[in-house]
Amino acid sequence: MGKKTIREIIIGPKSSYHLIDLHELWQYRELLLVLAWRDIKIRYKQTLLGIAWVVFQPLINMVIFSFFFGKVAKIPSGNLPYPLFVLSGLIFWIFFSNAISNASNSLIINEDMIKKVYFPKMIAPLATILTALLDFAINLVLLAGSLLLFGRIPSMATFVILPICIIVTVITTSGIGLFLSAVNVKYRDVRYILPFFIQLLLFVTPIIYPANMLKKEHLYIIALNPMTGIVTAFRTVIERSGTIDYSLLIIGCISSLMIFFIGLVYFHKTERFFADIV
Amino acid sequence: MISVIEVSHIYKKYKIGESPPYFTLRDAISGILQSPFRKKRETLEEDEFWALRNITFSIKQGEIVGVVGSNGAGKSTMLKTLCRITAPTRGKIILTGSVASLLDVGTGFQSELTGRENIFLNGAILGMDRNEVKCKFRDIVAFSELEKFLDTPFKYYSSGMFVRLGFAIAAYLNSEILIFDEVLAAGDDAFQKKAVNKMKELQSNGKTIIFVSHNMDLLQSLCKRVICLHKGVIEADGETRQIIQYYLEHNYQ
Repeated sequence: MGKKTIREIIIGPKSSYHLIDLHELWQYRELLLVLAWRDIKIRYKQTLLGIAWVVFQPLINMVIFSFFFGKVAKIPSGNLPYPLFVLSGLIFWIFFSNAISNASNSLIINEDMIKKVYFPKMIAPLATILTALLDFAINLVLLAGSLLLFGRIPSMATFVILPICIIVTVITTSGIGLFLSAVNVKYRDVRYILPFFIQLLLFVTPIIYPANMLKKEHLYIIALNPMTGIVTAFRTVIERSGTIDYSLLIIGCISSLMIFFIGLVYFHKTERFFADIV
Repeated sequence: MISVIEVSHIYKKYKIGESPPYFTLRDAISGILQSPFRKKRETLEEDEFWALRNITFSIKQGEIVGVVGSNGAGKSTMLKTLCRITAPTRGKIILTGSVASLLDVGTGFQSELTGRENIFLNGAILGMDRNEVKCKFRDIVAFSELEKFLDTPFKYYSSGMFVRLGFAIAAYLNSEILIFDEVLAAGDDAFQKKAVNKMKELQSNGKTIIFVSHNMDLLQSLCKRVICLHKGVIEADGETRQIIQYYLEHNYQ
């Protein structure tokens, strides 16, 4: 009957030495997909706008920002018209902010499951990131449409840079998501503070203004947020001008890996007690 | 026969202070500001509660073991440590094989989704892939007798329907060890009988089952061995009839 190899499971008071059990994650890959699919399904069953909501968010932001920052404040936007400039940053920003805010609530939402069945807890925050990734894909289509509308064709380098940008965003949001979801189990007010911090972070990331408005030394600090390097590089390839500032991208990549590692370690250290305190 | 569950000297401690220390970040920060030199609120001895103390037993492959005990005896905590839901404070458990558990009626079921969708969701929660669930899908549906309600959202299901489906999913998927916590009580007599027969069939296929119940008849008809817990300690472990007699005499209920 069972073709699976029988594994011995040892349960003790200490955490396992492995930070991440890839074999087990692979075994539960189906759950990752099912949870993401469940989130999407429930969202579309319960909301009026359904899928329209996904594109509504960046569109409305684009219109508002284009008016206030582009028209009124006249923030420069390089070679791109301001609406395209801001939309190209916003789709990444929305991916980032939705992923981390949903991930931070993921363990509390799945409280029932955590208390009653065993599964690798990491699946819960990671599934929300998968959902955010799907929304991002939809928004990417929106951006592609807008670029065509303005008659802009991104450079071929986009096919290299875009996947890198997506991977780095996934790693970053996974790290932050793992960390915040674990913190949120213990400190329930984190979820009320988080939107405020995300809001602040938007202003210290070159989303609504170009990175080259800042002094080099300030830029390097801001590049610690991996979204800085990502958005800047992505814009460079879609506006077909100038060269990518690799230093920002590299700082972002290193920072992203560190964020992921810290998130993973914290999650791993605390996950054994989730069922007791959630 | 090899033993598939090896539990040695398990302890589980819970803190039951009047107010749990720091549940909001705000409290944590103001706590630190008020008394920066005190690391943590000192936990008093009375705050500690040992839900399990020195639990040791082993279960061989193909055994059905019943667990009895009054409320608060530690039955559920013991099952939770076996299912890896909560970690023991001390001790070690070795499990050989995968575990499917049914600790509550309708766990992980999503009320907005239909019965069909929930079967796949629950299968995934138990670590099964889609094909495995597909293979067993008919059997699960037939056993739970829910053909008519497969496309009904779960929120309209009764608790009896929850149990039937939950039990069927756990019973039909390929786990070597099955753990049930007092769940059959929500099913009717006919279903209980059916579940007992199913568990016997699973046993003859080499599955190992742990089964918590307050229903002595059910235990008697199902298990050869029963473990009796009282206040977190194993009071007795042995042949079903003797243990039940012991349990009833001591009138823990």
